[in-house]
Amino acid sequence: MDIITRDQLAALLDNLASSRTLIAPCLVEDVLLYRQVPSSAEVAWDFDLPVLSAKGALFPPTESLMTVDKVGDDGEENDVQLNLLETIFEDEQVIFGVRPCDARGFRALDALLLDTEPVDTYYARRREKTTLIGIACGQMGPSCFCTSLGGAPDDWRDVDLMLTEIEDVYAVKVVTEKGRALLGDLSLRELPGEPAEPVLNDPLPVPSDEAWTSQFDDGFWDNLAERCLSCRICAYVCPVCRCFDVRDELVPATTFCYDHYERIRCWDSCTGVNYRKIAGGHNPRSEKGQRLRNRFNCKFYYYPQQYGVIACTGCGRCIDACPVNIDITEVMEHLVITQEGASK
Amino acid sequence: MSKTTDIQAKTRQLLNSGQVSCVIGYEVGPRGRTRPAFIYQPDDAERMVWNRSCTHNLVPYVSEKLQSIEKNIPAGETETAQQQVAVVVKPCDSRAINVLLAEKQFSRDQVYVIGVACEGIVEGAGFGREDNGNLQARCQRCSEREPVVYDMLIGEPQKVEAVDDYSDLDRLTDLTPDERVEFWLSQFDRCIRCYACRQVCPMCNCPTCLYERDDSLWVGMGIRLNEKRTFHLGRAYHLAGRCVGCNECERVCPMKIPISLLNRMLEREVEAAFGHRAGVAAVPSPLVTILDSEDGISWTS
Amino acid sequence: MSGSHGDDVGNVGGLKGFEPKILGFLCSWCSYTGADLAGTNRLKVPSNMRAIRVPCSGRVAPELIMRAFDQGADGVLVLGCHLGECHYDNGNHRTAKRMPVLHSLLTFVGLEPERLRLDWVSASEGERFSKIVEEFTESIRLLGPCQWRSKALQWEAENTRDGSVEQKGGKSMPQVGR
Repeated sequence: MDIITRDQLAALLDNLASSRTLIAPCLVEDVLLYRQVPSSAEVAWDFDLPVLSAKGALFPPTESLMTVDKVGDDGEENDVQLNLLETIFEDEQVIFGVRPCDARGFRALDALLLDTEPVDTYYARRREKTTLIGIACGQMGPSCFCTSLGGAPDDWRDVDLMLTEIEDVYAVKVVTEKGRALLGDLSLRELPGEPAEPVLNDPLPVPSDEAWTSQFDDGFWDNLAERCLSCRICAYVCPVCRCFDVRDELVPATTFCYDHYERIRCWDSCTGVNYRKIAGGHNPRSEKGQRLRNRFNCKFYYYPQQYGVIACTGCGRCIDACPVNIDITEVMEHLVITQEGASK
Repeated sequence: MSKTTDIQAKTRQLLNSGQVSCVIGYEVGPRGRTRPAFIYQPDDAERMVWNRSCTHNLVPYVSEKLQSIEKNIPAGETETAQQQVAVVVKPCDSRAINVLLAEKQFSRDQVYVIGVACEGIVEGAGFGREDNGNLQARCQRCSEREPVVYDMLIGEPQKVEAVDDYSDLDRLTDLTPDERVEFWLSQFDRCIRCYACRQVCPMCNCPTCLYERDDSLWVGMGIRLNEKRTFHLGRAYHLAGRCVGCNECERVCPMKIPISLLNRMLEREVEAAFGHRAGVAAVPSPLVTILDSEDGISWTS
Repeated sequence: MSGSHGDDVGNVGGLKGFEPKILGFLCSWCSYTGADLAGTNRLKVPSNMRAIRVPCSGRVAPELIMRAFDQGADGVLVLGCHLGECHYDNGNHRTAKRMPVLHSLLTFVGLEPERLRLDWVSASEGERFSKIVEEFTESIRLLGPCQWRSKALQWEAENTRDGSVEQKGGKSMPQVGR
């Protein structure tokens, strides 16, 4: 296997940071997040899983889609024009420290945003300009269940370069040409052998399509949702959740002037009370049970039906972050057990 | 007899007699994390627990439950309408009941309050991270170990030598305005507007939050620094004189933003100016009432 | 009268030519009428203040004031009836209690305390109105442009680094005539 030392890696990252945007796990006032870092000095090397996934690099919490500027004098009607300027993402970026579950999340997002018409051009541009350096997990955490969904802690398939920590060095696996290009002419030491197998958790049973459809009207959903706060933590920490809201708002820097607007989109979540409220005031998902049912069905049933991949990568972030312990694995287990009981 | 068995027994009795339709308390989930529980059948009463991880303020669920019951009562079914909802509360939570009673969110006879003489909740509670066993900051400074309103008291309230000197606010006292701006910008920067702080709060109960309006009237929709700051400041202000300091907002924040500093600063202000402490009695916040000669406000001319 | 975007970036306090943008919430029955009186008496009132007429100073909610600062106001003035003279009997009682609390909150988070002021002006006090607005405008002029919003924008551009702040520019779409 090819080996890169921590120092070599730091130098490589510094080099990358000088010519493009380097995004890496770092501590922001005690909270581990993926953020742009100016150099390798800010990288949190011994990290497990940042609170938010890396999806923010391709689908940021807030994104300007276009600006609309009114130019010309109101006095002369024919002289007034509207200038529409689309925002084009032009930076090259590298995300260092992508866990296989996050990388898989990108693949799941691609299924909708790239592989289905119309293409999300904002996501597409960022995706095209992003290179992923993955870091494999030595062992699965208590909330992890990537293996139950076809993933693995050392799954290299969705990154451009995969690193595996072996004591104080990293084994390097080049996955794509983009990844190879990152390494440049860096010479890597060769060592015999392969990285150790990661320590796995017991796999969890995944409900079948039939389980989802047959238990749609089950009282389970209302019971589960009773403690739900209808906040948005689960959707926002998730590597795959991608719902967003779009608004036209005043460009922030204007003062008492209404000539400059921008169209922005930002994260939204189906767990929010008014997410599904429609003009006229009707809210088809006014109850928490309906919202949670939708959330889990979307991940495991609707999304795969429409786009061919499950919209969950088993990262376990939602489990860790939910203030009231709403647990996706409990949902899976309940559906499976009920289905088994029903089919007996 | 432990607090757990007492609560279980009471739950069983309340449900058996039909006095309440639901008891809201705490249980331990499969991963060992304490979480809210909703018990409807006497046989399920054994799920109820009391431990040092019972951090959640269950009062928001009371309003929600009562509203949902009212919405779903079949016409003419007066018996269901007279059933109460029972809730397990700590002293801080019990003050939230008083605030909501004062604001007419529900009436006293609709709730059966199981008050617990709390001995403090540990850090990491609710997230399964209680390893170090330290009490939460709010508990370390709490001297109120007896609920202010209850129908049944569980446990013996202890006398605790705790003083709340608001020393957590000291980190800001000596900062210049510019430094304060920097401090708060660096805190709100991490905010993702998940609204968990708002959702967990018993007093944040507007059907549509001002800061989530479809017309972006008061604040833009973007997850941007200015918007986030305005949301938090506006929310803190709306809670002035109403916040009971349960600190759940800070606990649930995935980004560890010290929101309690805002609420506690206002708590201190309101107490100094009006002698009012939220929820000690079921009276409204002084910010919604007319001037009293005893109010320590001197903006008169 | 319309401002241009970006004009709150780069100005330094007390700089010659800085004209504060002041938002004034005037209650319909007293202070707005007082302002009117100042006008009919030809008293000099700086034109920096944009008046917003509200039925009662008690209507002035924190979200209004914060929105003003969020949109670039350099100072906010709230003028109501003297206590005991409110047209709605005790609307100004709420103002009297709420403004100091809001003030202490905003000061706690770094807004200069001089930028928000509450005062009482009756319908017959045209001179008093003129004097208060003059004083307030001068004090804001000395303080300089309010950095409340610009600091946030600047901080975000330099520090947030989560992809939410990005450069604009790119292809211009076909111009659309009005």
